[in-house]
Amino acid sequence: MKHTFWIIGWLLVGGILCQVGWLPWWAIAGVGAMGGWLWAKGNSQSFWGGFLGGFLLWLLFALLRDVANGGILSARVGALFLGLPRWGLLGVTGLLGGLLGGLGTLTGYRARVWWHRR
Amino acid sequence: MGIKQLSTTPVGFIFIAYLRAMRGVLFVLSLVLTTGIIGLLHLPLPLGQQRIPALGCFFNPFSGFWRNAEPREGPRLPSELHLTGLRGKVQVVYDDLLVPHIFAENLEDALQAQGYITAQHRLWQMDLAARRASGRLSEVLGERTVELDRMTRRRGLPYAAENAVRGWQRSAEGMRLLEAYCAGINAWIAGLKPADYPIEFKLLGYAPEPWSPLKTALIVENMAETLCGGENDLLSTLALEQFGRHTFDELYPEWNPRQRPIVPDTGQWRNIRSTLQEHRPAPTEGLGRLSARPIEDDYLLGSNNWAVAGTRTHSGAPILCNDPHLTLSLPSIWFQLQLWTPALNCYGVSLQGVPGIIIGFNEHVAWGVTNAGHDVADWYRIRWVDAARTRYLVDGKTHQVQWRVEKISIQGRPPLLDSVRYTLWGPMPYDSQPDHPLYDCALRWITHDEPDPSEMRSFLFLNLAKTYDDYRAAIASYDAPAQNFVLATRSGEVGITVQGKLPARRKEQGRFVLDGSQQSFAWPGFIPNEHLPALRSPQQGFVFSANQHSTPPSYPYYYTSRDFDDYRGRHLYDRLAALRQATADSMTSIQLDNYSQRAADALPVLLRLLNRTAADDEGKKCLAELEAWDYRYDAHATAAPLYEVWFDTCYVRTWDEMLDSTGQKQLLLLPERWRFIELLEKAPTHPFFDRKDTPQRETAADIVTDAFLRMQQFFQKNPDKRTTWGKFRPVVVRHLGQIDAFSREVIAGGHSTALNALSRNHGPSWRMIVEMGDEVRGRGVYPGGQSGNPGSRFYDNLLDAWVQGRYFDLLFLKKPEDLPTARTFTHQILLPQ
Repeated sequence: MKHTFWIIGWLLVGGILCQVGWLPWWAIAGVGAMGGWLWAKGNSQSFWGGFLGGFLLWLLFALLRDVANGGILSARVGALFLGLPRWGLLGVTGLLGGLLGGLGTLTGYRARVWWHRR
Repeated sequence: MGIKQLSTTPVGFIFIAYLRAMRGVLFVLSLVLTTGIIGLLHLPLPLGQQRIPALGCFFNPFSGFWRNAEPREGPRLPSELHLTGLRGKVQVVYDDLLVPHIFAENLEDALQAQGYITAQHRLWQMDLAARRASGRLSEVLGERTVELDRMTRRRGLPYAAENAVRGWQRSAEGMRLLEAYCAGINAWIAGLKPADYPIEFKLLGYAPEPWSPLKTALIVENMAETLCGGENDLLSTLALEQFGRHTFDELYPEWNPRQRPIVPDTGQWRNIRSTLQEHRPAPTEGLGRLSARPIEDDYLLGSNNWAVAGTRTHSGAPILCNDPHLTLSLPSIWFQLQLWTPALNCYGVSLQGVPGIIIGFNEHVAWGVTNAGHDVADWYRIRWVDAARTRYLVDGKTHQVQWRVEKISIQGRPPLLDSVRYTLWGPMPYDSQPDHPLYDCALRWITHDEPDPSEMRSFLFLNLAKTYDDYRAAIASYDAPAQNFVLATRSGEVGITVQGKLPARRKEQGRFVLDGSQQSFAWPGFIPNEHLPALRSPQQGFVFSANQHSTPPSYPYYYTSRDFDDYRGRHLYDRLAALRQATADSMTSIQLDNYSQRAADALPVLLRLLNRTAADDEGKKCLAELEAWDYRYDAHATAAPLYEVWFDTCYVRTWDEMLDSTGQKQLLLLPERWRFIELLEKAPTHPFFDRKDTPQRETAADIVTDAFLRMQQFFQKNPDKRTTWGKFRPVVVRHLGQIDAFSREVIAGGHSTALNALSRNHGPSWRMIVEMGDEVRGRGVYPGGQSGNPGSRFYDNLLDAWVQGRYFDLLFLKKPEDLPTARTFTHQILLPQ
């Protein structure tokens, strides 16, 4: 359990690095890979830990912008994407962040297993 | 047994090796899955004709669209920044409508700041407009815009822009100012990270390009294409061929006797001798092929402007008004700003990509523009020498066509190469379409000409003008699109000038397709500036224009138009002539006037011709509503939709001779609406009222009665349309990228024949009223907002006020400190690098 929290925490903290302008949009997957290497204990634990971390990170950053913006843009972009409501748009953002974080963490974990038992 | 022991047995060894291999495989699998998902989210995906943006790029909160969600109170602008090329300090104060007030030490700095600030708020719009005019939309939008790009290039817009820059380059002073403006735009672009790009770049997946004088020229040509690219040459030629001269003249008279021209004949043209009128060039014959053009709503593009002298105003100071009617869009076509230097203090609206203020006022004068509407695009039929159509005759001499090869890049496709013939007359836009009636015709268009070197500075000179003479001097080098420039000065003068490079035509020259094998059919020259129609402080105490005829027929030069206004001008004259003790509020009521002179002319005639015995109960209810109607297209008017459908049906049912079999498209020119109404009134048994598809002979009364029943049927079939005018004709202020989610639909009154010329997607794109008293005071509003960002509250914050007919006081400051704190959004200081 403790290790899962480490992973989530790491994605949230390390994910802030993603704000650095020259990093690609999928940098969160790289952050996840590092977390997976260091703390992951199993396939499922690594993926879901990373997923939760990535989900929260993307959701929080999007939410901060959206709240400051008063939802002006999310209403318009939502209408562009099949009429998604504001929370739907935030949800999609979170899911994408989660997917990337989870897969990255899983890959990091699998890399460590492979490396150590070679 | 431990792993060590296990590995010593053969089976165990194989098992361990398998496990180790599996670990590698699982790692590789997860790696492939991760990179695969990233790759998938990195690609824009096709969805029918559209493309979904790369989801990962678009949704991630660090550089995707969430970055465009600016704080609710407005964009965060740095309070101090450095720009290369600035000479001195520039102070910018933004008011609470996000209007920048730019205070600079010299004109270059002011324009550089204007470029920087305009790009900051409207970059994508600028990019799109330049792409539109250079035929480069497909580069980012893909296949769906290829035909549009192709025609843009074939009509020679990029060619025109290149010529414009060549002309401007002959004025070193002008280029210096333009380059300062471009440098400002480029400074903004250079400082952008992809995360900062406007949202449309992210949606479409491309990056902004540096700006250049050529792009400014493209913006100007874009405007020219909109305002002076239209003509009726082909449809008129075909109609003349079909009906013969006598009937043609009867159906298509050029002068409407009820017209109120911009400049009346007061004998000022008595001494101008034009020998050109004596020779009428024969139109070419045997074009043979027909091409259908949709029946258009008339007068969509147009504008009103007027200036009232102190004799008619309450304060004794002149008042100037302008409302240009253009396609309504978000972001708006206009951007408001104030420019101040020790030599200049000017407020108004600017066009994105063009330095200076286009419509506005300074401490001495106010000015405005409407489109003059003269036809400056003619077609010349080429006489070929060879079958390959590469050599042609002019006055018996053989000339070689020049080829211009256009390379159209297309997103996701190999580029398209398109060769266009250029002749002495101009390019041949249809030379690749053998079925097109203009297959063998070249386009002679004023927009292609190299402009006067000072043209670029016309508006800057206007921004600096102090007197009537300054105004005339400023616009003297203005070529195209020709405009009616109205003026009011604080010293009490008003004036109007039809200004532009206008061909001095022979009678009817340019009304039809011309013979390109004779030099004598070329434009003999241009109307000299001193002969252009102009009016300075006339006795009547006002000057005005609404895209109507510039002059009565006694003007010594011939000119024609695709569609001169026939109604707004008349009503505007009546309103202005009735003014006493006028105030800014009286002007507001004129700009918002929904009264249609055309409805007032036509409805009584329709009602008189109608055979009422045919009307059932519902018909009688409709009639009662129509009879009670005050001819105002107010949003709540329920009679207006009835009249609209009835009148349009009468019009289309009468002119079956000109339409294709579907009745939806015109093959020959349709007579103007005013002439139609006149025929209804004065010649109800005219043969054209007879329909070709019936054995009996119809008169105007039959057409009108039949149309009334059809109107009733229409509303029975579409009961939801039997509603108020506002709901019947919703107004769409459409996003420039045609993105519905970024567009707005509003309910508002108005009609293209009313002064409040609001139609489905065209209308008053800027309403301005300026009182030229001791203290110059302006009010204005436009349907949008200062920001081009759909994630900003300033994107459309003026729109509702515009719908409701409200205005904002324009804050015309003398120094930055004059802006009241309560109305200040933020301060910014720009410094040299």
